[in-house]
Amino acid sequence: MRWSIRACGSAARHEFFKRHPNLVIGLVATMLFALLGLISLVWTPYPIAQIDIGRRFLGPMAAHWLGTDNLGRDMASLVMSGTLTSFVVAALAVAIGAGIGVPLGLAAAAWGRPVEWLVLRFSDFLFAFPAIIVAILVTALFGPGAINAVLAIGLFNIPVFARVAQGSALSIATLDFVATGRLAGLGPAAIAYRHLLPNIMSLIIVQGTIQLSLGILAEAGLSYVGLGTQPPATSLGLMLRDAQSMFLIHPPADAGAGAVHRADRDWSQYCRGWIARRHRSAAAAGECQCRCLRSKGSSCASAAPRRSAM
Amino acid sequence: MRFGSAEAVSDVSFTLERGERFGIIGESGSGKTLTALAVTGLLPEGAVVGGSISIDGVPLPANEREMARLRGKRIGMVFQEPMTALNPLMRVTDQIEEAIILNRSDSAQLDVPYLLKEVGLEPRHGERFPHQLSGGQRQRVMIAMALASQPDILIADEPTSALDLITQKRVLDLIAEICMRRRMALLFISHDLKAVGVLCSRVAVMHRGRLVETGPAASVFSAPQQDYTRRLVAASRFDITREDHPLGGAPLLAVEQVVREYRQGGLWPWREKPLRAVDGVSFAIGEGECVALVGPSGCGKTTLAKIIVGLDSATSGQMQLGGVAYHGADLPQEMRRDISLVFQDPFGSFNPRLTIAQSLGEPLRLEAKLDLVERQRRLVEAIEAVGLRSEMLARYPHEFSGGQRQRLAIARALVTRPKLVVLDEPVSALDVSVRGEVLALLARLQAEFGLTYLIISHDIDMVRAVADRVLVMEAGRIVEEGRPETIFAEPQHRLTRELMAARLPDVA
Repeated sequence: MRWSIRACGSAARHEFFKRHPNLVIGLVATMLFALLGLISLVWTPYPIAQIDIGRRFLGPMAAHWLGTDNLGRDMASLVMSGTLTSFVVAALAVAIGAGIGVPLGLAAAAWGRPVEWLVLRFSDFLFAFPAIIVAILVTALFGPGAINAVLAIGLFNIPVFARVAQGSALSIATLDFVATGRLAGLGPAAIAYRHLLPNIMSLIIVQGTIQLSLGILAEAGLSYVGLGTQPPATSLGLMLRDAQSMFLIHPPADAGAGAVHRADRDWSQYCRGWIARRHRSAAAAGECQCRCLRSKGSSCASAAPRRSAM
Repeated sequence: MRFGSAEAVSDVSFTLERGERFGIIGESGSGKTLTALAVTGLLPEGAVVGGSISIDGVPLPANEREMARLRGKRIGMVFQEPMTALNPLMRVTDQIEEAIILNRSDSAQLDVPYLLKEVGLEPRHGERFPHQLSGGQRQRVMIAMALASQPDILIADEPTSALDLITQKRVLDLIAEICMRRRMALLFISHDLKAVGVLCSRVAVMHRGRLVETGPAASVFSAPQQDYTRRLVAASRFDITREDHPLGGAPLLAVEQVVREYRQGGLWPWREKPLRAVDGVSFAIGEGECVALVGPSGCGKTTLAKIIVGLDSATSGQMQLGGVAYHGADLPQEMRRDISLVFQDPFGSFNPRLTIAQSLGEPLRLEAKLDLVERQRRLVEAIEAVGLRSEMLARYPHEFSGGQRQRLAIARALVTRPKLVVLDEPVSALDVSVRGEVLALLARLQAEFGLTYLIISHDIDMVRAVADRVLVMEAGRIVEEGRPETIFAEPQHRLTRELMAARLPDVA
C-alpha cells in the first residue's frame, strides 16, 4: 500500500485510487474527521469552556450550527474538540500498546522458552481482567483524567500486540533466512529487528487500526462512566453522557455527538478493512511466508477485539 | 480431450486413451499444472479458458455443480504435497470414507479397508491422523481417496517430488500397478524425466505454455526432435562434474561420537525414552575433499548438518574444526567464518524485505575491521564468482528465479571465504535444467578457492557425480562409507542396496 502509492507517478497514482474506491471513501472520511479535530486546536466557532446558561438548549441555527448543550456551550465546537480528544487518546493508547507489546512479542519469539513463557503468562494475566475494572482501579489510584484513560487503554493493548507479534514472528522464525542470520552471528535482538519485525509489519499495522477504533470506543466508555476526560475538556463519550441525561427533554443534543462518534469509528474501520483485504490478496499472490501470517493473523484479529472491547 | 487457452498456456491439444499412461514434462512455470487444473475445472480465479475439453466425446459442463459431480465421479487427483492436501483434523479412515460417500455411484461400492489394502496400507494406519503418517504413507492415502470414486482418469501432479528415493520408487510402482489393474487412464505431471520415463507410455514436453513435442516415451527420450527436449534429456543425466583437485589434505573437520537426543514431549518427560536423531556418528573430512552424506528422509542427516555448522548442539560427543573442539552452538565467533551452510529451499533462504546486498553482506559481520570499500569489493567478488552481475546486488529476492537464488545462496556462503561449506540438498528444489549448472558452479568454485564440501542428499545420481567419498546414514548411524564408484557398484549394507535398487533408470 505505502510503497505502491509512493512508487507511482501522479497519473499512476490517480489510476491506483480509481481502482480502490473503498480506500478513497475511507481515507476521505477519516481525513475529514482528523481535519476537524486538528482545526479545533487553533480555532473553534466558540471557546468550548464558554458557559452561557441563557442560551442553553438551542436548536441548530446560523449562529450555532449544531445548537447548544445544557450549559449553553456551542455543540459544533464541542464536537470538533471532542473528536480530537478521542483520536489522541486512542492513538496514544495504540502507541503504548504497540511500543511495549511488539517488542515483548518479538522477544518471546526470538529468545524462546523462558522469555516466551514469561511474556505469554503476562499477557494471559492482563487478559484475565476486564479492562474497565483496571481502568477504575487506575483512576481510583491516580484520579480520573484523559492521561489515565490513555494509560488504562494502552495497558490493555499491550497483550493484544504481544500476542499478534509473537504468533506471526514464530512462523517467520522457522524460515531459513533466520537460520542464516544466526549463522552470521546475529544475536536474538538483531534477528528480531532485522528479520522478524519487517516481515510482520503489515499484520501489526492492521492490528493497530483495529485497536485504534476500539480505543475510540473504550475512551468513550470510560468518559461515559466519568473515568476519562474531565470537563472543561471534552470528548465524544463525555458529550454523550451529558446529552443522554437530557435526551427525553431535548432530543437533538444527543444526535450530534452520537453520530460523530459512530462515524469516527466506522470510517477508520472502513480503511482498515481495505488494508486487511489488501494484505490478504498480497499473501495469495505469492510471498510464501505471508500465508502462515494470514492464518495466524486472522485468528488473532478475531480474538483480540472480543477481549479488549469494554 | 482437447483444449487450448490463452497466455499462460496456449494451443495445447492432446488426447488420452482409456487405460493409457500419459506424462507431461516441463519445468516450473511451463504451464503443466495449469493444464491439469483446466482438465479438472479447478483453475484459479481469473483464468480465462478457450478451446474445449471433452471426456468420452462429451464436453465438460460449464456449470460448477455438474462439474463438481463429474470431477468426483470420473476424475481422481493426487497432489504434490500430501500434508497440505489432507485435512489435519480428520482421521484417515474418515477422509477416505467421505470421498466414497460424496461420490456414491450405481456401481459396486468400495469400502475403506479395501481401498487401504489396495494402496498397501494396513487398517491400523486408517486410525491415524495425517501428521502421524510418513510422507509416503500420506501419498498413499491421497491415492486411496482419488480411487474412492472409481475414476476413469487419475491426474497426478508431481506426486513424488516431496518424497525420498525409496519411497518415490514405491509410490510410482503403486500408481503403475493400480492403473494397470483398473484400466484407468493416467495423466502424470512431473519435471522428473526419469519418473515419467518409468511410468508413462506416451509423453508430452511443455515449454513456456506450449507443447513442444509429443510422442511415445521411448522415442521422445531416445531421439528427441526438438532442441528443448534434447537439452532436457541431456540435463537429466548428471555428468561427472568433479574437477581434479588434490585429495587427502590434513583433516579439516573431525566429528567424534556425536549424539543428539530430543526429549519427547509429554507430561512426564523423564519417563519417556529420548529420541536419538543422531546416534554416535564419527567421521573426518580432509581439506579440499567433497564428502556426501546420503540417507532416506528422517535419518538424521539434516540434524547432523545443523550441529556441524553451529545451529544446534550435540547432546554428547564433539567436533573439531581445524583443531579447535566445539559441540555445536558453542562454535567460537571467530571460527564461524570458516564454515557456512547452503539451504535446500532457495525461496525461504532470503529475507524478502532485504536487498541482495544486505542479505549477502550479513555474514561479513563475522569479519572485524572491514571498511565500506572492502565490504563492497567482497560482495561484488562473491556475486561474480557465482556468475551473476554486480548490479543485481541492489535488487530484492523476488526478482530472481529459483536457480538464481540458489546461486545467490552459494554466494552468501562464500562471502566470508570459508574453508568448509555444508550443502543441504543443494539442487533438489531446482529444475532439471539448472541443476547441472549449479553443480558445475560448485565444482568450479571448489577448484578455484580450495573449498571443502559436505553435501547432504538423498539423490544417489547427484552424489555419484560430485562426491569424492560417500557416507550412508540410517536411523542416526553411519552404516557404510567408501568411494562412490565402489560403494555404488558393490553396496554392502541393506540400505545402500535398497537405495541403489530404488534408482530410476536413466532415460534414453
